[in-house]
Amino acid sequence: MNKISSRQLYFFLAAVAPVGKLILLPVTLAHYAANDLLFPAAINFFLQAGVIALVLLLAKNGLSLGELLQKTFGKIGAKIILTIFFAFFFYAALCPLIEQKLFVQSIFYDTLPSVVTFSSFFIFSAYLCAKPLSSYGRIWDILAPVAFVGFVGIIALAAGNMDFGALNPVGAAGIEKITQGAAFTNYWFFDSAILLTLLGKIEYKRGMAWKGPLFYLLGAAAVMLFLAVFYGIFSEIAVRQQFAFAKIGKYSPAVGILGRIDYLFVFALSLVMAFYSALPLQAGIDCLRQAYGSPAGKLLPALASVAVNIIMLVLTVFFDYRFAEVRRFVGEMLFWVFPIFTLLLPALSPLLKLRVRKREVKTS
Amino acid sequence: MNNKFSRFLKTVPMKLWVILVAVVFFSFFSNDFGLVDIQKSAIILAAGIDKGEEGYRLTTQIAVPKGTDRTTGGTSSVEITGKGETVSDCVVDIYALTGWVPKFVFCNLLLIGEDTAKEADCMHVLDFFFRNEYMPDSCFVAVSQGSAEEMLASQSAVDDTSSLAITRLFSNASEKSGRVMKNTLREFVISYYGPSESGFMPFVCSFEQESGTGTESSGGGQGGQNSNGGGSQKKEKVYCVRRTALFKNGRMASILNEEQTFACNLVKGKVFSGSFVVDDNGKPVSITVLDNDGGVKFETKTTPKATLTVKLTVRLLNRSTPSSVDDVSLNVVTPELLQKAEDTIRTRLEEVFALLRETGCDLFQLNRSLYRASKAKYEEWKDTLLATVPAEFDIKIKSTK
Repeated sequence: MNKISSRQLYFFLAAVAPVGKLILLPVTLAHYAANDLLFPAAINFFLQAGVIALVLLLAKNGLSLGELLQKTFGKIGAKIILTIFFAFFFYAALCPLIEQKLFVQSIFYDTLPSVVTFSSFFIFSAYLCAKPLSSYGRIWDILAPVAFVGFVGIIALAAGNMDFGALNPVGAAGIEKITQGAAFTNYWFFDSAILLTLLGKIEYKRGMAWKGPLFYLLGAAAVMLFLAVFYGIFSEIAVRQQFAFAKIGKYSPAVGILGRIDYLFVFALSLVMAFYSALPLQAGIDCLRQAYGSPAGKLLPALASVAVNIIMLVLTVFFDYRFAEVRRFVGEMLFWVFPIFTLLLPALSPLLKLRVRKREVKTS
Repeated sequence: MNNKFSRFLKTVPMKLWVILVAVVFFSFFSNDFGLVDIQKSAIILAAGIDKGEEGYRLTTQIAVPKGTDRTTGGTSSVEITGKGETVSDCVVDIYALTGWVPKFVFCNLLLIGEDTAKEADCMHVLDFFFRNEYMPDSCFVAVSQGSAEEMLASQSAVDDTSSLAITRLFSNASEKSGRVMKNTLREFVISYYGPSESGFMPFVCSFEQESGTGTESSGGGQGGQNSNGGGSQKKEKVYCVRRTALFKNGRMASILNEEQTFACNLVKGKVFSGSFVVDDNGKPVSITVLDNDGGVKFETKTTPKATLTVKLTVRLLNRSTPSSVDDVSLNVVTPELLQKAEDTIRTRLEEVFALLRETGCDLFQLNRSLYRASKAKYEEWKDTLLATVPAEFDIKIKSTK
């Protein structure tokens, strides 16, 4: 089985993971924290970076999450925990997928397209999810430069119209709003949980435990720059600017002369997003594979992938006009669910390693 | 044979993968393959809104394909007016009247009738366009002298379509001349919802073209459902956007004249190659701006103080009297003339500032500057700032040598 190299992992952390935070996160942050939107984003990014460092420490022994859980909690315990993780990833995938659907419908189509238009995404996703998670390594090799070009292009077009003064006065939103913003937007930050499922598939290199978070923070810096540019362009009306990255480039004088050339970069980022949106589903199916499938077996992931994607297609159609409620439910009412799986459990994961060692010492 | 088949089977996933990616690309990013059924769509180039006692009147200027008998360039258009209790109700009315689906994606101008702008907060008019995801918020906004309907229905002397003739006046070159303060829907709405609650729009008026003489009028045309295609009775018009309408809390509060508009543009620091006239012992002299730096400095340390800065490098462009050949070759502006130019600009800016104090329109966004500097001081001073803030004018003009 091909392993994900350190380069591929860094590409994911620095270039692919940040792209998933460009659609509705900016407008949601502006809703909670207005001109202080950088602070809640920074809180989430730093928390994630810290947890990613801990997870990557665990990658050193080369054991997968399933193996670690099995050695610690036994077969049944591992199956239960992996199934819970599958349920979490399914839950985590819902918002990004509806977000992606609404984005495509709103930006790429002149009038509301039919349901069929987006459903092809699930054929693509079903195929992708049936593949082993380690196959993402090569995909990240391709996606990272695409994301880089898309991001630089958008920022370059937007740069002339921003007013960084709009970020003042710093702290005007107050600590309560900033904390609220961080808590209610944490459902965009599940990268540490994804890394947990990548354990055993990463080719560990020395220094990965600090280089990984560093690359993640590099990507975070790019997102923060994007947020600053976004608020610098829209300031008081940022709160109603959905699908921000498709809008900030259109005010460039170059667009007036050449037409919507910013769409080239929007398309590039959308391509990366399509893969990133499918990632939680694939991580979930990988949990099922680790829990119930034999390593070489392909039937279980294939069936699970088809079933999961059909259910997700139905849900995205059902929640199409109820997305505000879904966001309120996931982001506000159940805001505590994500930190359990993306902060607490990954942060506790190094304990698995200690217990494995203790067991090995006892048996020897 | 078996070997070949198993090799083929191995490559199936990759082939399937490529096909799936292609399918996603085609459907996902197709943008309906860019197909717009022109027979069923109304491509709206501009919209004009007037509000009367019966409700709103939305006049849309719709691009129509030209007949083969037309040999001139440009875009033909037809004006359709819808009526309703809200702006979107008017859009529905237009659809009901024409069977065309109104498409605002190419709308580049929003004109608000003068009475509508004066009567109440004009966000009730702009609300529909601000909410509409398919409306480009980079479109220009302007106030029309008289009704917007009449202005859009007027026959341009320079273009087949009046809105295209008007938006041409908002070009970057026009802006650099300092003669127009253009504004977009996005910028207007930002300033409306911002701490200053003020904004501006160009004030559009039209002049009839009759044997080279111009008389100002408030538009023309018949209004209602009409077409400018067959309007041979109409007088052709040219448009002027040199005046600027000032807004406070969304309501039009006053108008800056041409000279005041130019002075404000100098404060913005965007003028290049624009010219202005200075009186030289009773003889007008034109001076052109080669370099312009300007801004508003706002101090909040003790008591607030606003300093409007204009720094210019100028050259003599044109005298209205015969000059010596040396004067023509050097084009230098004398120190006396520079002083007069400084005084002229200072006077205009003083006039502008007095008007802003009178109307409460925070054109230079002093409240926003204060808010950004200190939220506490903003809360303390926001109601009295514009009326009481001392203003200084730092005008420095130098000539090319």
